[in-house]
Amino acid sequence: QASGDPQRIAFLLRKQWSLYSVTPLYRFCEARLRDYGRQLGAFIAAERQKGLAVEVGVELDVKVAVSCLPDLKGSEQDQAALLLQLSTRSPTSKKNSEDKVVWLGWFCCVAGDDLSENLPEDFTCLPLFLVHGAERYTAIVGGWFQKTFDCYFRRLTISPLSLSWMAAMWAGCKEDKATSAMELLFSVPCLPQPLDISYAIHAEDAKALWDTVQKTPGEITQEEVDVFMDCLYSHFHRHFKIYLSATKLVKVSTAIASAHSDGFVKFFQSQYLTGVLMLLTELAISQIQ
Amino acid sequence: MDETVAEYIRRTVLKIPRDEIKTMLQKWGFLSEAQLQNINFHQIKENISQEVVQLCEENCADIKQAAVLDIIYNHIHQNKRMWSVYQMNKKGEETEIFDLTDFKKKIKRQLRTALKNVTINFREYEDNAIWIRVAWGTPYTKPNQYKTSYAVYHSQTPYVFISASVFRSNLPLLCQALVVATSYQDIREMELRGHSLNSLKDIVFRRYSQNFQTHCPRPLQERNVAPENADLRIIRENKMEKEKIERVNWEVFGHGPQPKLEFAQYKLETIFRSDPKMHILDKKEPFRCVVKFSSPDLLESLKSLAPAGMADAPLSPLLTCITHKARNYFKIRDKKDLLPGGFTSP
Repeated sequence: QASGDPQRIAFLLRKQWSLYSVTPLYRFCEARLRDYGRQLGAFIAAERQKGLAVEVGVELDVKVAVSCLPDLKGSEQDQAALLLQLSTRSPTSKKNSEDKVVWLGWFCCVAGDDLSENLPEDFTCLPLFLVHGAERYTAIVGGWFQKTFDCYFRRLTISPLSLSWMAAMWAGCKEDKATSAMELLFSVPCLPQPLDISYAIHAEDAKALWDTVQKTPGEITQEEVDVFMDCLYSHFHRHFKIYLSATKLVKVSTAIASAHSDGFVKFFQSQYLTGVLMLLTELAISQIQ
Repeated sequence: MDETVAEYIRRTVLKIPRDEIKTMLQKWGFLSEAQLQNINFHQIKENISQEVVQLCEENCADIKQAAVLDIIYNHIHQNKRMWSVYQMNKKGEETEIFDLTDFKKKIKRQLRTALKNVTINFREYEDNAIWIRVAWGTPYTKPNQYKTSYAVYHSQTPYVFISASVFRSNLPLLCQALVVATSYQDIREMELRGHSLNSLKDIVFRRYSQNFQTHCPRPLQERNVAPENADLRIIRENKMEKEKIERVNWEVFGHGPQPKLEFAQYKLETIFRSDPKMHILDKKEPFRCVVKFSSPDLLESLKSLAPAGMADAPLSPLLTCITHKARNYFKIRDKKDLLPGGFTSP
């Protein structure tokens, strides 16, 4: 499913995004975006006066831009994605020099019917929040949203179960050019000396394996995901006599995207962006409910 | 004193942890005891380094003396660098007596003939280790003292430990110089890399505790007696199994501490074979993957897997062979006769 003009969303690719789940926003109005931008800008300036968002030795004005990303949604019911951009301009630089973007955050909802269907009128459903930039700005923006729309942010963690779904789904994606491997990262922290195991499978071979496992194209069942992972585990055990199933899957990385259990994601291909967002939206909604 | 030398000394001193500065300067021996007494080692490092530079100015330090301080620092903090192991081969049986002066002369000559701008320093240590520091330049620029290569040669062995620098293109030059200076035939890089120089030495010099044929397992029973007596109603269900795992582990890993490695990497090109009931992927082509194990202390970590219930005991020979094969990079293919479970590692 295409995500609109790839150029417009290219800036979302290849950045590491921290994930949050967000409870529905109360009395959010899409028509008032510019107002919100101004209010948030004022709020940030006030926080900086209090000394809360200042880089050592640097006094820069922070500009806030709020906009919509209408292409990033699953169905018509979904609320269009909301993008926030914080930028600064050095006071010493020339008038027409470019602003430097220091922080990006966007809310989105892709196929979030489970949540949006049952919401009362005044609530807007944008359960997934992605952030790239300094933590101090995240705290301030989050604080403003919580205050203004009575919502609640929580870091979104991704379970090993969800990660294995991602591995199976992404392994099966068709790729034209030579692609990177599918890499699974396992962690065994509770040993006297912690151990990390990286298991990277050639993209073609991973896809070939998934194609043998998947019964119906376009559909994935939990059983198929389990068989896929068991195959990978047993191939590993055959060589090393180690049970990967006893360790913790913490990261999955493919040519499409990468996801880490601590709630970090990176998108590599615009054509699969909405697909991944749909999965993440589902996880966010689960965490909220 | 040259500006660049002053700056280099200043930066080198800044790198040193504050409580080590005095000892290192003493080891260096370039500043007199009297001069050292005058330095206030309790002030911030910025100021200490300024004072040291000042004194070096008085003593007219040049780059060669500054380089020695760098060697001393790197010798003490050797584990900060990544080391690769190289092995040299000799054709005949002639064992020549090692002449240090001759060795140093030949290294210098080899490197200087190829590259005019190099700084070369040597320092010998008690364990027959010769540390060689090389700062590389180009035909048109002076040597960059901040991008150095280190080679540690043990004269009684065919092994050299080299810390790769940014200028990897100079590596063949360094290797060639070592071969010529030691009268060996050739040199090859082993598939063994790590941060702990001593552990790499332990592995190639076979200094770790071996698993010998006479396995006399330490009696587990002795260890468990005390707590067992506490309450007879408490039974350890799988005591026998646990003891067996521990014993097998010891047989495979030996009793002593393991050499310290940070990673092991396996490039697997074996056929994928699953449970025949599953009918999965009966391909004749290899299932290509790369497995990398990482840990602050890899071998100890692997050793603890079976007792933790995460692996079978004995652990796979692919992992337990690391020390006696002296390698942590492997390429694994199926044995030609396709015996199940048999692998070859070229």
